Amino acid sequence: MTSPPTDRPTDPLTAEVFRNALAVAAEEAGIVVVRGAHSTFIVEGADAAAAVLDAEGHLVAQSQSTSLSHAASLRSSLPPVLARHPAAGMAPGDVFVTNDVYGGGIHANDLIVFRPVFVEGEARWFTGTLIHVADLGGLSAGGMAADATDVFLEGLQLPPVRLATAEGPVADIEALLAANSRQPDKLLGDVRALVAGTAVAARRVDELVAAHGPDGFAAGVTAAWDYAERRMRQEIAGLADGTYRGAYPIDDDGQVPGRELWVRVTAEVAGDTIRIDFTGTDDQVPAAVNAGASQVLSGVLYAVRSFVDATIPMNEGCFRPIEVVLPEGSLVNPTRPYPGGGRHIAVCAAVEALYEALAQASPEHTVAASGILQGFSIGGRRPDGRHWLHMAFDFGGSGARRGLDGLDAAGGLFGGGRNLIPQVEPIEAAVPLRFEAVELIPDSGGAGRWRGGRGTRTVIELLDDALVDTRGDRLRLPPPGRDGGSPGRPGSYRRRRPDGTEEVLPAKATNLRFERGDRFVMETSGGGGLGAPPPGA
Amino acid sequence: MSAPTTGTTPPPEAAGATGQTTAGEAGSPRGRAVGALALAADIGGTFTDVVLADAAGGLWTTKCPTTADPIDGLIAGARQVLDRAGGRPADVARVVHGTTLATNVILERRGAPVAFLTTAGFGSLLELGRQARVEEERHDLFWSPTPSPVPPERTFEVPERIGPRGEVVRPLDEEAAARIVDSVAALDVAAVAICLLHAYANPDHERRLAELCRRRLPGVLVVCSTDVLPQAREHDRAVTTVMSATVGPVMSAYLRRLEGRLRDLGITAPLHVMGSSGDVLSAELAARRAVATVESGPAAGVMAVREIGSALGLPDTLALDMGGTTAKAAVVRDGRPGITPSFSLGGRMSAGGRGGGLTIALPAVDLAEVGAGGGSIAWVDAGGALRLGPRSAGAEPGPACYGRGGTEPTVTDANLVLGYLAADGFTSGGLALDRDRAVAALRSGVAEPLGVDVVAAAAAVHELANAAMASAVHVVSVQRGVDPRRFALVVLGGAGPVHAARLAERFGIRTVVVPQAAGVGSAVGLLECELGHERAATAPAPGRPGGLGESGEPGAGFPGPALTRAADPDAVEAALAQLAADAAAELGVAVADVRVERAADLRYRGQATEVSLPVPAGPVTAATLAELEAAFHRYQRDTYGIVLEDPTELVTLRARVTVPAARPSAPGGPDVGDVRAPATPAGTRRVHLGGPAPSGTGRDDANEGAGDGFTAVPVFRREQLRPGDELAGPALVVAPDTTALVPPGWTAAVHAHGHLILEALTLEAR
Repeated sequence: MTSPPTDRPTDPLTAEVFRNALAVAAEEAGIVVVRGAHSTFIVEGADAAAAVLDAEGHLVAQSQSTSLSHAASLRSSLPPVLARHPAAGMAPGDVFVTNDVYGGGIHANDLIVFRPVFVEGEARWFTGTLIHVADLGGLSAGGMAADATDVFLEGLQLPPVRLATAEGPVADIEALLAANSRQPDKLLGDVRALVAGTAVAARRVDELVAAHGPDGFAAGVTAAWDYAERRMRQEIAGLADGTYRGAYPIDDDGQVPGRELWVRVTAEVAGDTIRIDFTGTDDQVPAAVNAGASQVLSGVLYAVRSFVDATIPMNEGCFRPIEVVLPEGSLVNPTRPYPGGGRHIAVCAAVEALYEALAQASPEHTVAASGILQGFSIGGRRPDGRHWLHMAFDFGGSGARRGLDGLDAAGGLFGGGRNLIPQVEPIEAAVPLRFEAVELIPDSGGAGRWRGGRGTRTVIELLDDALVDTRGDRLRLPPPGRDGGSPGRPGSYRRRRPDGTEEVLPAKATNLRFERGDRFVMETSGGGGLGAPPPGA
Repeated sequence: MSAPTTGTTPPPEAAGATGQTTAGEAGSPRGRAVGALALAADIGGTFTDVVLADAAGGLWTTKCPTTADPIDGLIAGARQVLDRAGGRPADVARVVHGTTLATNVILERRGAPVAFLTTAGFGSLLELGRQARVEEERHDLFWSPTPSPVPPERTFEVPERIGPRGEVVRPLDEEAAARIVDSVAALDVAAVAICLLHAYANPDHERRLAELCRRRLPGVLVVCSTDVLPQAREHDRAVTTVMSATVGPVMSAYLRRLEGRLRDLGITAPLHVMGSSGDVLSAELAARRAVATVESGPAAGVMAVREIGSALGLPDTLALDMGGTTAKAAVVRDGRPGITPSFSLGGRMSAGGRGGGLTIALPAVDLAEVGAGGGSIAWVDAGGALRLGPRSAGAEPGPACYGRGGTEPTVTDANLVLGYLAADGFTSGGLALDRDRAVAALRSGVAEPLGVDVVAAAAAVHELANAAMASAVHVVSVQRGVDPRRFALVVLGGAGPVHAARLAERFGIRTVVVPQAAGVGSAVGLLECELGHERAATAPAPGRPGGLGESGEPGAGFPGPALTRAADPDAVEAALAQLAADAAAELGVAVADVRVERAADLRYRGQATEVSLPVPAGPVTAATLAELEAAFHRYQRDTYGIVLEDPTELVTLRARVTVPAARPSAPGGPDVGDVRAPATPAGTRRVHLGGPAPSGTGRDDANEGAGDGFTAVPVFRREQLRPGDELAGPALVVAPDTTALVPPGWTAAVHAHGHLILEALTLEAR
């Protein structure tokens, strides 16, 4: 008996088997991309994504290692690719690349690659991969152009273009990419890993289509979507109906210090649907704190999924019961040429605002605000002229939860774990930096019935002259407490001179000159506390 | 990779599950042990398996419940097999032990209280941790990481600093160090773990601190990170060092006690302990490097599969061990088990090594584990989908058919309903299984919620278990770039042989081996393992005296790791020789008496992960390094389809030394060559062969005329089969500890070694 055991993937008895097979296809692409990538930023799957989609950009399956901040990225950027390159004109072996923040993309350094999968001569499915590549030009090496005032300062702009054909890479495009990178060999290594990832996933899709037949495969995909949608609707129906509001501020845009910006949201829970409307959010700014629409959509999905059964498989069905309104020209849906590289600042504000709103529908999920991911990069030139770069980040403390203290140094990047923070020894072996401390800051979490998580202090001695970039938020306006809890201790970026004097650095800046012997000090903010502290505490 | 149990878990039909003891004997027609004996004991969370082998290939086995003091069960089992074999304790020449002690001590946090000493500025190293959030953990607002293995009040920051090239940036402050050691003395700890930054490049400060501790704290175990794991990546090294210190005192006391009890029994043979990577350690080394025994049990199973494969001329095998709660898969290629350089413990169970929890950066057999055991519970979720696990009925209350209070449907219940398992105590284990209870559980738990009949529900549960195991096989094979089609599937654990052939079909695998004594396979595996040990070290940075040569970035002030092609071959040779000498010394043998395998970990320049590759034979030359780099490029191309000949870095060097085991010859019988004879069935049983479809949907063509999807198939008793006997599927082969399903389209034959070998007649690779 050798007949396929799963040839009717719509059967509820075997649907789980088929869903797993789809997930494996995306998972393998993710593994290939992460293992093959050259960019040191791709540590253990940080900032990477892989997915299988249909020819309209509907998400069939994505890798478990997909960064949550990219849950919607591949899904949102395929339609613009197809608008420019209709599927009918595609040939087997074609691969396309884009990084257009206004077309579902993220920012210049996040390259998004798609490959059509042909069924009976038709490009019916797509595989996609995405990583933060080594460098693609712009104001700042590695892509952290925190003070960019338009998108052109953030790096090379790539509309959807053909990156490879059955003949291999398109040499002109590779040459163009390499010529725009400070680290061309690493960049091309990353690009080839992206292409290889789409090929692996495409092979698996081919096999599944062969096993189930074209219609059987399509029916299985539809069943998987319907299942996820059904589960989402059941869970949303468990939230109390009503209209709930939330809002969260951004310190400033780095260009106009002290002028705060607000993300405002209204969540309308009605039966088994949610309408999430960001009308009322402040206008876009000519500074790198706006967030492209796909990024905000990822944040919305993340926030909603924190309120429902987290085991629901991630696919198009999860999006269906949620209507999202992103006003054009606002912080959460910028138009050309407003920059989008600092998107996590607006996205994390959107997540906090949604937490505030949705907790009114499900009070046991109340959380205080968290410190945010604070990024930095330090780069210079070796004596032989080659560029060196250390780009990293640390997390602020998470907000206190109902019944639990906040997590230390784990806040503000969609449930990221500390495995994303690189270890010190390999860094010191590769670049002229010496870490003096990476430590928790005592009592930095906001007080409360439940305490906010602590922030961290990182102190780095520069062993050579270098340029420093910063990208932080929630420093001027530290994460507030909730229900009587106190705010977390605000973090900061500072320069410590060899004589011990210190100066506070702007939190959204590029190319700050440091000299050998200076210390770069970064403190992340503590999380907010929840509930009034017990008397005498 | 994180379950607190190892090895062979309860076979659904094993009477051991009821507290009785089953026994098996094979390959010893004389009935009495002859010559030197070898005793192996594998203690899992639920069962203790003990195996005795004699010089003529005789094998005596027993499976009994693990006792409160696990040594009691081990000794009782040893007595039993010795009695049955008529063997004398004094004739036991070797004792090999697989144990979950280290795993349990870590997971249950009952290790020795440890103090942790680290470089000033890094006192938060363990508390911060590096735990990943995987899968649904990422959306869980109430998730918390595994707590730090050492609390802050037992963590001390030492004023000192070494740089990445081993240079002393800040000398060790002796006065401060003495004060710290005084503070440690006031804490009453059982062990001290020391991990200083860049100690792998220069261990002087760690050694001096250890000396101060040992002088001030007699009787306290002191562990330096350089001795456990001389490799860069401070967090992984610190956790591994702390785990070694935590488990060490417990392991050391346990092994001393076990040696004493064995002596009381009259057994004075040396005691060996299974390590995570498939090597056996002396008891002394196991106590000192206890953390190297964390994957002891699963490693034994994989080594058993390797040996079985090698005896059958099958160097490429897939090992599948299906127990009560989980199933584990691993790959043996060219006679070598797949090894992972690190693994995690205590996080979510997960295939592929992304489990979270504590990172143990020591080599271990590369396993993927999924929650699909005989006791795994099937359920229908709110979206109307059939799911399996991760909850398990375990041994208590056990599957519904055990009649001990379980009411939820399990894989075992499904297999009973489908006729794959006997309800009537046909197996010599004697535990009668209650089919009515199995039917009732499947009806209320699966069939009614889904609106299908009970048989269709059972078939779907069986199929879902196959799919879950397939995903584990997938992780260790396809995801590692290994095409499983040319592999043989060797199945251990009582629950596995009912599923094995159909699992094989999914991968286009044509050969399935159900070993003799499959139910106690891990314990048998212990007998086969060689005394061995691996040492690894970060390739010293260029520029350091004795280092590995210049970097590929000429003139750079801060060069980074050495490029492979620019490394100094003589320095690499010297470093590898030193590692081999150190490993041999730790094993307590002369380097001349061991076999040495050398490996190097390479990566693209600037990459975050490495690939371990064997170093070509002979002294290291420039050509050797070039060949290593070429092998790396081949690996990337074959595994990931990446064609990219970028420069590579040489990151880590490894030397593994082994001493061939002085063991009795493998169990065997008369060689029957190609003489094959049809076997005679002992009876028939009606089993379901219709696949997962509900009846009446036209999927029962495999059993046309049967109507309900059931077919009467012959049942063979394993102990009545002789080497050379052959049978055709569909059929069942039942043994005291397991039942094998031979589906239609498969044949089975008994090999000279007693193993049952299933072959697919026609099977298109899928």
